[in-house]
Amino acid sequence: MRQRGRWLAAVLTTVALLGVACGDDNGGGGGTPQPTGQFPAGSTMAELQAAGEVVIGVKFDVPPFGFTNPQTDEVEGFDVDLGKAIADELGVEARFVEAISDNRIPFLQDGTVDIILSTMTITTDRDAEIDFSEPYYVAEGRVLVPEDSDITGVGDLGGRTVCTALGSTYEENLKENAPDAELRLVDTYSECFELVQNGAVDAVSTDDVILTGMIIQDDTLKLVGEGYTTEPYGAGIAEGDTEFQEFVSEVIADVKSDGRWEQLYDEWIGQYTGEPAEVPTMTLEEALELRPCVDTC
Amino acid sequence: MSDLWEVLVRHFPDFRSGFLVTLKLVAISLGIALVVGTIVGALRAAPTRWARWLGGLYVEFFRNVPLLVLLTIAYAGLRRAGVDIPPLVAATASLGLYTAAYVAETIRSGVFSVSKGQIEASLSMGMTSRQTLRHVVIPQAVRTVIPPLGSLVIAMIKNSAIIGAALALADDLLKEARLINARTFQTNEVFFWAAVGYLLITVTATFAIRYLERRLAIRR
Repeated sequence: MRQRGRWLAAVLTTVALLGVACGDDNGGGGGTPQPTGQFPAGSTMAELQAAGEVVIGVKFDVPPFGFTNPQTDEVEGFDVDLGKAIADELGVEARFVEAISDNRIPFLQDGTVDIILSTMTITTDRDAEIDFSEPYYVAEGRVLVPEDSDITGVGDLGGRTVCTALGSTYEENLKENAPDAELRLVDTYSECFELVQNGAVDAVSTDDVILTGMIIQDDTLKLVGEGYTTEPYGAGIAEGDTEFQEFVSEVIADVKSDGRWEQLYDEWIGQYTGEPAEVPTMTLEEALELRPCVDTC
Repeated sequence: MSDLWEVLVRHFPDFRSGFLVTLKLVAISLGIALVVGTIVGALRAAPTRWARWLGGLYVEFFRNVPLLVLLTIAYAGLRRAGVDIPPLVAATASLGLYTAAYVAETIRSGVFSVSKGQIEASLSMGMTSRQTLRHVVIPQAVRTVIPPLGSLVIAMIKNSAIIGAALALADDLLKEARLINARTFQTNEVFFWAAVGYLLITVTATFAIRYLERRLAIRR
């Protein structure tokens, strides 16, 4: 009996000591990098720090922004790296979840994800449901066709079939710029890729960077015409969470000003487009003005 | 409450278009399912072994491949193989042939449910096999088969929603609902009305089947 009592005391003491060493909120016991500052109690940042991870909704099939590397089975890309930068500022791990155009906003609203970084264009309609950070990338809408197609731009799409994703801004964009085109809407851009490859649709239209991702995988496709819409991407944050929105916008501003943005651009996009990195200067207000409300007014 | 009504009124043209597309898909697929299903059912009930084997092959294949996989093969797969198959054909053929497998099995069991005594009696009365089939077996089989066929029709109507989920095959009621939802974020209201739309079709089908049952069926 006495032996057992002593043994128990030893175990409990050890556990208590370990608890003190590892329980420090500032991550004193582990090997993760120290966060750059304390966050106000009750703010989302403090909650995420306590949880030890931030869940980020990204695309899993849209190179070069969010896609699964077939060799490593990890998701990577511009959005993913930006997400990791935000996680580093919080001092937590980033966990990535697939968020397609159709379900990303519901995922944010019901708490499945904490942030959306899913090639999401800033629009006033979406702003009614969630909050946006300052723009972190400005893409252009273009048209992709098979190399033997006679389509030369968005104006030629009358009477042709065009594929784009459900829940993206292109349903509206195409109705405005190609009103006689027949739209085919799918869940993910990989389906559009399949449809244009097997001839079921004549063209795909979406952001130039997403289309570039398709050309990387199949170089018998080509981009035609000029950019016909401007698509500023913003990170999605739960409605009303101003503190977190400011925090994320600050991280994005830091990334833009300290050279990391150019690095990300060159790594993920520049090497395919051959164009030099240009840090976007559009503000959130300007982005919202580009897209006034249509359906949620 | 006013939100609910407002969603229907504001997007009525889209809901209606989706509803009509669903009706069209269901009608064409049902036609294919009944025709092909009857032929395969007859094969399955045939006296010759190779006929039964052929019918069995059909039934096993189409009952064991999930509808979504079938749709993808019929559309993307065939197109990649060079067949320029239009989406409507791929969709209705898939749903029709898939349902036909179940129709075939129902018809086979209906035929076999006619008791052997009936067949023996009519043959011993001097009727030929063909006359037996025409005047004794088939009328009774048809009556037995109506209720389970009715269930298959209802299932097929619901399965038609899968067409709208795959590869932009058709803008049916479910697809239109998802489109409206993506634009307005009013998920509850939008899918409520989609459900109402499908109910309209299935309830009408149920009444039609009950009418047929009353007029024809054998009640046990």
